[in-house]
Amino acid sequence: MLEIKDLKSRVAGNDILNGLSLSVNAGEVHAIMGPNGSGKSTLAQVVAGHADYEVTGGSVTFKGQDLLELEPEERAREGIFLGFQYPVEIPGVNNAYLLKAALNAKRKHAGLGEIDAFEFLKMAREKMATLGMDPKFLNRGVNEGFSGGEKKRNEILQMAMLEPELAILDETDSGLDIDALKAVANGVNSLRSPERAIVLVTHYQRLLDYIEPDFVHVLSDGQIVKSGDKSLALQLEERGYDWVREAASA
Amino acid sequence: MKPISTDELQAIVGRLPTTRDEDWKYTDLAPARDISSRWLDAGEATPSAALTEEIDRITGSIDASWFVIANGEVHDLAAVPGAAIHKLSEAPAGQHALAELNAALLKEGLRIVIDGTIDKPIGILVIDGTEGTSMSQAYVEIEFAENSAGSVVEYHASLGDADQYANTVVSVAVGAGANASHVRLQDRRRNHVQTGRTDVTIGKDANFRSAAFDLGGGLIRNDIAIDIANPGAEVSFDGLYLAGEGQHIDNHTRVDHRVGPAVSRQEYRGILNGKCRCIWNGKAIVHEGADGTDADQANHNLLLSDKAEIDAKPELEIYTDDVKCSHGTTVGQLDETALFYLRSRGLDREHAIQILTHAFAAGIVARAPVGAAKDEITRLMEARLANMIQTDDDLSA
Repeated sequence: MLEIKDLKSRVAGNDILNGLSLSVNAGEVHAIMGPNGSGKSTLAQVVAGHADYEVTGGSVTFKGQDLLELEPEERAREGIFLGFQYPVEIPGVNNAYLLKAALNAKRKHAGLGEIDAFEFLKMAREKMATLGMDPKFLNRGVNEGFSGGEKKRNEILQMAMLEPELAILDETDSGLDIDALKAVANGVNSLRSPERAIVLVTHYQRLLDYIEPDFVHVLSDGQIVKSGDKSLALQLEERGYDWVREAASA
Repeated sequence: MKPISTDELQAIVGRLPTTRDEDWKYTDLAPARDISSRWLDAGEATPSAALTEEIDRITGSIDASWFVIANGEVHDLAAVPGAAIHKLSEAPAGQHALAELNAALLKEGLRIVIDGTIDKPIGILVIDGTEGTSMSQAYVEIEFAENSAGSVVEYHASLGDADQYANTVVSVAVGAGANASHVRLQDRRRNHVQTGRTDVTIGKDANFRSAAFDLGGGLIRNDIAIDIANPGAEVSFDGLYLAGEGQHIDNHTRVDHRVGPAVSRQEYRGILNGKCRCIWNGKAIVHEGADGTDADQANHNLLLSDKAEIDAKPELEIYTDDVKCSHGTTVGQLDETALFYLRSRGLDREHAIQILTHAFAAGIVARAPVGAAKDEITRLMEARLANMIQTDDDLSA
């Protein structure tokens, strides 16, 4: 589904990704781990299409098409979803409006008509219940005045509504208390399916107690230096990132 | 109207403010002087054929008891329960050159006295449309009698391609204990010139809420001066201006706190795109002895283009001690992070910009004190924003 080959990227004049390769297939859950500054968030931003991240080499294809040619909105409509590390507050635009507009943009791209208002509300309420969100959040400004946990739940709500084929969740676990972490993990797990791939970008192993990955990759200096199964995350927890770096350079 | 010679009128036009006047340094009235002189030479032009149709369209857009001033002539008056409405044969000359011009050339004025409680807003449509160059005057007195309650919507519009200059003077007196709401909506053609002056006096324990929307026009200058000479007044006045390529919109506001306690709040917001210029100059004067004054002013601007120019100037003058005053001015650009966030959810760039600009302006519309006018304001605002974005290659790309 997603093929990243020898990807190099630069932001604000600094080389961050230095030849990263990763292959993600439908039905898989990947965890990308690594210390701060290793390029985890850059990878997420490049795949989603942020203009500040310049691609200086390599290729990224999604379902066989050149992803780097597409605008961010086209990537979203094709089925890519980025859960932001720092979800943006947009006062004056209510959550329901954004959800509906996003859903309709995707439906239009798929040749479908706009979603029925009743059907939309029903769907939103169901998803919110799963995430332990008060339906009142629908009428609030997008992330406006939300706590850290509420913002992350809101990201997962958007993901649940949009049902992406590839979801990249950037540090979705950061700043969450245990209840919020469980709610977010439930939301993610409920979306696991043979047609869908999920990439979790995370600093800590904690999230992986609740969302079990098929593959774990360790990122260091903009490259994947080690890949393994979920046991790798536990080893990292025990031995720290230096262990992988030392092993990689040895 | 007293007979007055063309030479005398040309002399009055010659006395209109110039950029040498401190209050006018960013707004050059040369086009107004030029149109006035040409109109004085050529005489009255034929009304536009589409005028009646346009009047019907606008008066149908907001549910109000409408009064129409078209090309300076006050149309027949209808009765409104709870209000007394008259035509005026003359306007006071006033202290400003614009008021002098208004008084010298006024055909008919309109006086509205709200002496009870009116539920349906009173609408005043000031519309100009002629086949040739035109200049017109409108003079309106609005009085909210003691303990009255009501709302007034001014709608300023124009049609036609010919040069046009409209000069309006409005005086609002809010009586003691009255509850007055006021909306001014300007949607003139983008090649037309307008100067408008609004003077408001506030009675004891009176409440005045106002919002002004400049959604059209070429060269626009608005002055609003609010005089608080009685204690217990609560005043709020907001403004929204949308300026695209070639437009110039100048808002000068002034509030005089002569006694306290009293509260005044103002918030003006502007969205600018293309080569255009807007000015917001907000003056608040707290006079000696006006203890217990609470005055707040804010002006926020969103610049969508680096060719757009805003001159924002808050001026606070405080001559007493027991006051609470604040002001804030911001000039910003579109938030690229928010734009990317919306696009990453599948919304195209143009739609994302529309959402962000709409959100920036929405608070002013939401607070507009005349509910019946909100749909029309929203419709005009959305159409104008969409047009500003679609006609700009940088934004719609």
